[in-house]
Parts: sequence; C-alpha cells; structure tokens
Amino acid sequence: MEENPRGWIHGDETAKAMLSRILTERPFLFLPPLHRVPLRVGNVVEIAGPSPSAKSQILLHAAVNCILPEEWKGIRFGGLGRMVMYFDLDCRFDVLRLSQILKHRIMEAYRSTNNTYWKEKGEHQKNDAPTTHMYLCDDELFLDCMRRFLYIRCYNSFEFLAALKAMHSHSQRESEALGVSVHFLMIDSIGAFYWMDRACQPMPIGGSKRKNVSLQSLAEAVVQEICKLLQMQPVLVLATKATIFGAGTSGNDAQRAFGKWCSEGKMDSRTSSREGEKLMYREYMPSSWQMKLYLVGNMEHFLRMHLNGCSLH
Amino acid sequence: MIEDWHQPWLNGVELLEDSNHNKHFLPTGYEGIDVLLGGGLCEGQLTEMVGPSSSGKTQVCLYSAALVADKHFGVVMFVDTCNSFSPKRIACIVDQLSSSFSGEAKERRLKRVMSNIFCHSVFDIFALLDVLHQLEFKLKQQVKSGDTKICLLIIDSISSLLTPVLGGKGSEGRLLMVSAGIILKKLANEYNISVLVTNHMVGGEGGILKPALGESWKSIPHVRLQLTRDQGSNICNVSILKHTFMATGRTAKFVIHSRSCSVQDGRGR
Repeated sequence: MEENPRGWIHGDETAKAMLSRILTERPFLFLPPLHRVPLRVGNVVEIAGPSPSAKSQILLHAAVNCILPEEWKGIRFGGLGRMVMYFDLDCRFDVLRLSQILKHRIMEAYRSTNNTYWKEKGEHQKNDAPTTHMYLCDDELFLDCMRRFLYIRCYNSFEFLAALKAMHSHSQRESEALGVSVHFLMIDSIGAFYWMDRACQPMPIGGSKRKNVSLQSLAEAVVQEICKLLQMQPVLVLATKATIFGAGTSGNDAQRAFGKWCSEGKMDSRTSSREGEKLMYREYMPSSWQMKLYLVGNMEHFLRMHLNGCSLH
Repeated sequence: MIEDWHQPWLNGVELLEDSNHNKHFLPTGYEGIDVLLGGGLCEGQLTEMVGPSSSGKTQVCLYSAALVADKHFGVVMFVDTCNSFSPKRIACIVDQLSSSFSGEAKERRLKRVMSNIFCHSVFDIFALLDVLHQLEFKLKQQVKSGDTKICLLIIDSISSLLTPVLGGKGSEGRLLMVSAGIILKKLANEYNISVLVTNHMVGGEGGILKPALGESWKSIPHVRLQLTRDQGSNICNVSILKHTFMATGRTAKFVIHSRSCSVQDGRGR
C-alpha cells in the first residue's frame, strides 16, 4: 500500500459530519422515569441512594418502557420494543412487581385509547364492553414483552464476571431469536459484593504469575468486561448503588478501599442537595468504577443521579 | 465452560412460571398478617420481622411453624438462638387447631407435627453459617420427594447473632452479615424456601427506636415488617416497612391468643 501521509492527516470526516452521524446512530433518548436526563447508548449511569429510596423501581419502570413496543394493534405504547438484560446481584428482584407495572402500563394505554375512541364518536359514557375485547389480546402482548426481559442472578463477584463474559454471546442468540437488540444493561446493585470483595486477601493465587485477587482487581475486571461489552454492543448501562456510610462513620474503611489507585489519597465525600436537604454519604466503590469513562474514551459520558426519596407509582 | 460458572439465564416468562408454580404462600396463621402480605410468607423471599421485645415476633414464628407443619406444606427448620423455641407452645397451638378431634387422633397429629419441625440451637454466627452450609449441601444431594422437603426456615433471632460481631471499625462483622444474607436468599430462591428472621430494635436519633443491624442490612431482606404491641394487650400491630411489590406503610392488626391451655401429660387422656 502506498503511503499517503497527507491523507492520513486530513482524517476521515469532519467534526460536523461525525456529530450528525453519531446523533442519528445513537440518538438521545428521553425515557421516563429518566426523561429529564438526556441519555445515549454507551452511557454508564449510576443511581445512588439510601436503602428505601426507589432505585430499583426506577430500573423496573425503565425496563418496562424498554420492552413495550412502540405500537401494537393500533394502540400506541411509546416504548422501544428492545431487550433488557438485568443482572440481579442483590437477589431481590420480584417478577410480580415487574408484571404489575407492565400490566398497569398496558391497561393505561388501552384506557386512553378507549377514551379518545369514544370522544371521536361523540359519546361521553365510558363503556367497558369494547375494552374487555381488548383485554383478551393482552396476554399475547404481555408475554411478548416479558420475553424481551432477560434476567440473571449472581451470588458473588466471580459469577458476575462470568455472566458478563457470557453476556455477549447470549444476547446475540436472543437477538436472533426475537429479532430485536439489547438496549439496557441493568445492574442491581453494583455494591452488593463490596464487603465480600474487601475481605479478599491480596495474595497471589497459583504462583506469582497470576494476578492477585483483591477489591481493586475485581472492580477493574468488572469495569474491563463492561467496556468490552460496550465496544462490541452499545447498550445503556444503569446501575443502582445503596449508600451505606453515613456522614459520621469512621473514615478508615473508605480510605482503605481506595488504596493506591486514588490520586488524592484521601476520603471522598459527596454531597447532594435536593429541595434544600443535604445528603452526605461516603463513596465506597473503588475508583476504577468511578473513573470508568477515562479508561474507554471520550465517547462515554458518565452521569450520576442522587436520589432522596422520589415518589413513583 | 463458562456456563458452569454462572447461574442460568432466564427470561420474564420463565420467571413468571417459576413464581406461579414453585413460589407458594405459607400462611402464618394470623389473619391480619396473612391478608396484609397477600397470602402469607412467600417462598423464595426473605422476610424480616422487627419489633421491640415482647411484641409478638416469637409467637408468630412458633405459630407459623406449627401451622405449616400441620397443614403438610413441608418440613420446618427452626434455628433458635435465644432459647425461644417452646415445644409446649407448639403443643398448645396444635391443640387449638385440632380441638374437634379425639384424644388418640390428637396425639397422632401432635406427633406428626413435631416430627416435621427440626430445631437447631446456635449461639454464634459461625455456627449459623455452618448450619446453613450443611443445609445447602443436603438439599443439593436430596432428590425431590413429595412433602419431606423443607419449605420454611425460621431464625429467631438473627440479630442476637450479628450484633456482637457488628460495630467497631472492623469490617468482618458486615462481611458475616452480608454472607449470611446471601446464603439465606440463595436457599430461598433455589430451593423454594420461605425464610423468616427476627430482629430487635435499638435507640436511634432523638430516642426513637429503629431496627438494629444498621444500614447494610436494610437492603438484604425482601420484606420487612414492623410489629408493635400495646402494653398489656393481646392486639399487635404489624406494618410494612419494605416490600417488593406492595406499598409501605400498610398496617394490620392481629390477636395473639392467650398462652394458657390444658397441660397434657405424656400419655394423654
């Protein structure tokens, strides 16, 4: 191949062309309940909050919006019709709650369509007879949506890593079977194995050539797998995290977690204020998770949402 | 292959089927609680009961154990950490349940119920983890056969095992707590067991009582119920602190029957 250094310098496309290409290939999506935040495929979002805040509910609502189709038998649902992969690290997922939310959304869509139908006809009574006919078609739509929800449970970090490694091939198989691609990768919750991983002694296993197993190395491995996945298959990653350290607890625990990877070498405390309340918590995830965007490239956009008890149905 | 290293992938339809076929509700025997929970204790879930002392937690545990053993749902395993298990009380309850039976039939029924309840006494967290690991091992080996399978695991109370190891600057306590939580949820999910644990309350800010075991424990149980009892009364209040699909704050009342019952001697009459 002849060398063409000039062509090499000029590049493949202008910035404007690149921007328009990206915005069409990976558009911003405003899905409820996160519709105030512009998110794109390839983003990694962490939803943090104390225990009884509605973090898992946000994941479930977002999942329902993803698995519902855009339109079905003339009724508009406004969903994406794509698959969701849910990693349940907390092992607290309840499928009844998911089906409850899904059924509620389907009923709502039917009811609003029914109302507009009757308004057009000029009648003002809410007659339930046509809706019962529609309820019978529910099951097919419901099962169709549930098939797009893929779920796996992990009981420790090693199972989590193995599942991440296997995720790509599994999602390819399911995509071929169902004809749609994956849009969400949900992790509930990312700090579930924190205490167990912390207790891992940083000892070499199987000789000095093997990598040490420690909190940092496990976190890095997880981050690496997610980055690999994002390169092969762009998805939107949503992770919940329970904030467990209050403001007044001792600092040694959090400090030890950062180790020598943290550039500041001191504790990291974050504050967030929502409607005048201040919520302080200590960051306990290793910095390789927090610094994920710097490892991959400037296409990634790392956002955080701090919750303090939001109300959802 | 890598498939051996992780749990199998499921989709929503398979999850629903599993929930409908395998995860039944076990009644506690107290109508207020059962109606509040939509049927009772759910198999596959870890239910926690929190309350100050003498608020009825042990009574609920004993009653559910007796009822579940009596109604052939399966075997009950009662892990007793504070000597609260009382065979006399179980006998009383079975007596109440079988009040229309004759003496001989009552004896047989009591024997059957007692043989379906296994009681283990443990006094520290390591013994508990040991018991749970042994149970997991046994369940893996066991061929599924009818109603001899365990369906209810009660730990009364788990907080008396965990509070001595929590606290202080070390993280070993939280590690033990989280490990216990993970094993309990794994047993619940994989073997369709309902796990019921009790927790006590400690003083919080401003003197208000709050559940013990701290922040890390809050995200472990599926369902958290709070029990209170008015002084000198038989009526207990139960309210939902956390539930996987019901709104928190819902409350109900239930009545604990008086403890007196006719004491029968060994031979029965």
